[in-house]
Amino acid sequence: MLKDITFGQYYSANSPIHRADPRMKIVLLITAIVFIFLSKNMYALLFSCVFVLAVLLISKVPFKIYLKNLKAILPILIFTAIINMFYSDGTANKLFSIWKLTVTDAGLYRAVFMATRIILLIFISSVLTYTTTPNDLTDALEKLLSPLKYIGLKTAVHTLAMMMTIALRFIPTLVEEAEKIMNAQKARGADFENGSLKDRAKALIPILIPLLISSVRRAYELAEAMECRCYNGGEGKTRMKQLRLKPMDYVICFITVLFCVGIILINLI
Amino acid sequence: MDNIIELKNVSYEYSNADEEDIAYTAVSNLSLNIERGSFTVILGHNGSGKSTLAKMLNGLYKPTKGDVLVDGINTKTEETEIEVKRKVGMVFQNPDNQLISSIVEEDVAFGPENLGLDPKEIRKRVDESLKAVGMYEFKNSTPHHLSGGQKQRIAIAGMIALRPDCLILDEPTAMLDPKGRAEIVDTVMKLNKEKGITVVLITHYMEEAENADRVIVMNDGVIIADGTPKEIFKNVEMLKDVGLDVPQTTELLYALNKNGMAVPTNVLSVEETAQVIANYLEEK
Amino acid sequence: MSVLEVKNLTHCYGGNTPFINDAVSDVSFTVESGEIIGIIGHTGSGKSTLVSHLNGLLKPTDGTVLIEEKDIWENPKEIRKIRSKVGLVFQYPEYQLFEETVFDDIAFGPKNMGLSGDELKKRVTEICEIIGIKPEYLEKSPFDLSGGEKRRVAIAGVMAMRPQIIVFDEPIAGLDPKGRQDIMKIISEYRKATGATVIIISHSMEDMAMFTDKLLVMSRGKLVIFDKTENVFKNGKELQKIGLNVPIVTRVFYKLKEMGIDVPLDVFTVEKAVEVLKNAKAGDRNA
Repeated sequence: MLKDITFGQYYSANSPIHRADPRMKIVLLITAIVFIFLSKNMYALLFSCVFVLAVLLISKVPFKIYLKNLKAILPILIFTAIINMFYSDGTANKLFSIWKLTVTDAGLYRAVFMATRIILLIFISSVLTYTTTPNDLTDALEKLLSPLKYIGLKTAVHTLAMMMTIALRFIPTLVEEAEKIMNAQKARGADFENGSLKDRAKALIPILIPLLISSVRRAYELAEAMECRCYNGGEGKTRMKQLRLKPMDYVICFITVLFCVGIILINLI
Repeated sequence: MDNIIELKNVSYEYSNADEEDIAYTAVSNLSLNIERGSFTVILGHNGSGKSTLAKMLNGLYKPTKGDVLVDGINTKTEETEIEVKRKVGMVFQNPDNQLISSIVEEDVAFGPENLGLDPKEIRKRVDESLKAVGMYEFKNSTPHHLSGGQKQRIAIAGMIALRPDCLILDEPTAMLDPKGRAEIVDTVMKLNKEKGITVVLITHYMEEAENADRVIVMNDGVIIADGTPKEIFKNVEMLKDVGLDVPQTTELLYALNKNGMAVPTNVLSVEETAQVIANYLEEK
Repeated sequence: MSVLEVKNLTHCYGGNTPFINDAVSDVSFTVESGEIIGIIGHTGSGKSTLVSHLNGLLKPTDGTVLIEEKDIWENPKEIRKIRSKVGLVFQYPEYQLFEETVFDDIAFGPKNMGLSGDELKKRVTEICEIIGIKPEYLEKSPFDLSGGEKRRVAIAGVMAMRPQIIVFDEPIAGLDPKGRQDIMKIISEYRKATGATVIIISHSMEDMAMFTDKLLVMSRGKLVIFDKTENVFKNGKELQKIGLNVPIVTRVFYKLKEMGIDVPLDVFTVEKAVEVLKNAKAGDRNA
């Protein structure tokens, strides 16, 4: 159960997208998301589909792995589609009725349109997480947010990056620990599977308390270890890995810009 | 004689959070010099004050009485705190709780990055340190997937990358299996012999003291014995009294003595033990 | 009657966790009531996976686990009942403590079995008597105790369920000699009082030689030896082949033999060694 929690879903492969600069990837992802949302008509959406599918193919991450991500949000997807199905602007042709609700052709079109848009968003965002290691992501975020230091948020940027690094490092450790404690309590006859919602929530106490205590202990020890490694809040800190834009990054950037221009043009149709 | 660390009448008292009075004294009026380049082992049971002592050696804890000098610098001086930590590295018991990054080489780079070194210099130090502990081929791994002994070696590499003069290891083997323990002891020995790093190893396993230059035994916050391993180990009674782990070879020689067989007790290895027993059996 | 029988037990972890190399394949053995069994093997040899099957925390991919000749998975809904028959004490059990008082923590297991009121109280006080936890401790917070005491309370929490089989995964890891003696003592006291079967995982061959009747040797997920402890250590070569060793005192005798001194090789404890050497010396004098 706990093993299913994945954090930082990096999928190791050797594609141009894997090798691309993470800062570039984040910026381009946001741009692509904006333009997918700007797709006004069917043709623009179709163009977006082609673009996203091409990106998925180039990423060399198996398609079924992307589909797995989709499964998680399936309920939201269906819900959105259903809500949109009943949308009507009065001029639409009535297709059929369920109870007091009427489904129109415009509503159906809208439902498909919205669902496709969400699927595309999920796909394109997964490209970032599948092709970028969590550490590269953290690094890139720190760099991208670094202009904030000019408005007096210097330590905030560094702290945020440090927090993300530590979280990435400790989440697997804590998941493993939670699992161990859970097994230990199961061995003492604890029941996590049966009973009412209230019973089950109560059953979590024997896991949460030990987990909390051990996390606090870990935090203390980690703080001491960081101090011993000359950490002083990031003052004057340098980085071993320097991010540098490579020719390929500009190529990827150019392709994305082409996509954006394409959307704008098609929207005019 | 050149000392890297000097302790002068050092005490450490824990006080109750809400009261002024002293709850308990972990280290009391202790004086000690650690010679540059030496390999010192501090033995003591849980609660003997050895961990508190260790944390005072690099200024993580400041003595409540007395002074600790690292390379002549008082650990109480605020301006030189970072410098002291760089000179005296520290490795703790739980390897999980001292690794910061989820990628091995980035973790090792953490210390030098904090010092603000040039990226090229950091890369050089990281590679060197990982090679020194024999973990270079794991530089892109995730610590979570390594064994305890391997994680602990990464922690040591993270310290070596700061180019310390001295390395303090606070029970680094307590949570490891026999294989992991052997890895750590070998790594530390190598760093001492080949890189000339001063080592202070704190442990309750007596066999880890076998190859040390000097063994210090602590009990109730004071030093009760200080000498070469052979000098210390002949006093089995005292070691058992203070709740130390006595290896089975020592146990055997001690039991033989108790049963009227006069064999020397100041050896540790299986070979030496067999030798002294053989000598004894051949005596007429 | 065999109290525990494991038949062709196999467990594979899911394909997407390549790093946990702790699978078990085709393990079979039988344990008689009241025996003390030691399990030895390297980290990752499958020891922990194996013992997690004994109380149904893991379900075998293949094979069966029989407690008192009944398949524990016969009725999966009843699997929680097995937990009180087979107690499992994990490594560093002190990290599972969570209640406000020592009493409540020890009572957690029996309470889950459905005990309450006087019956529950009796269970807790009984186990405390057996293993020597003083009554005044019962009202303390478990978090105020020392490391060794915490572990004792955690173990008492499993013992209070009165399992007929109790399994310990490295019960003395991380303790100092005094703490280790205490833990080994409460294990033997529980056994004396209840006649339970004990299974211990440990890396210490010296402790194994002292405490166990039989040894189960695991390597790469397979059971390689299951025999009387003395027979296992007599075949030191077999152990060394998989990177394990015999007790240190036995190694001293191997060395003596190598040096051309006529000593027996089946010496696994200090007591035995003293006796043998005493006789050897006396024999010398007589010769």
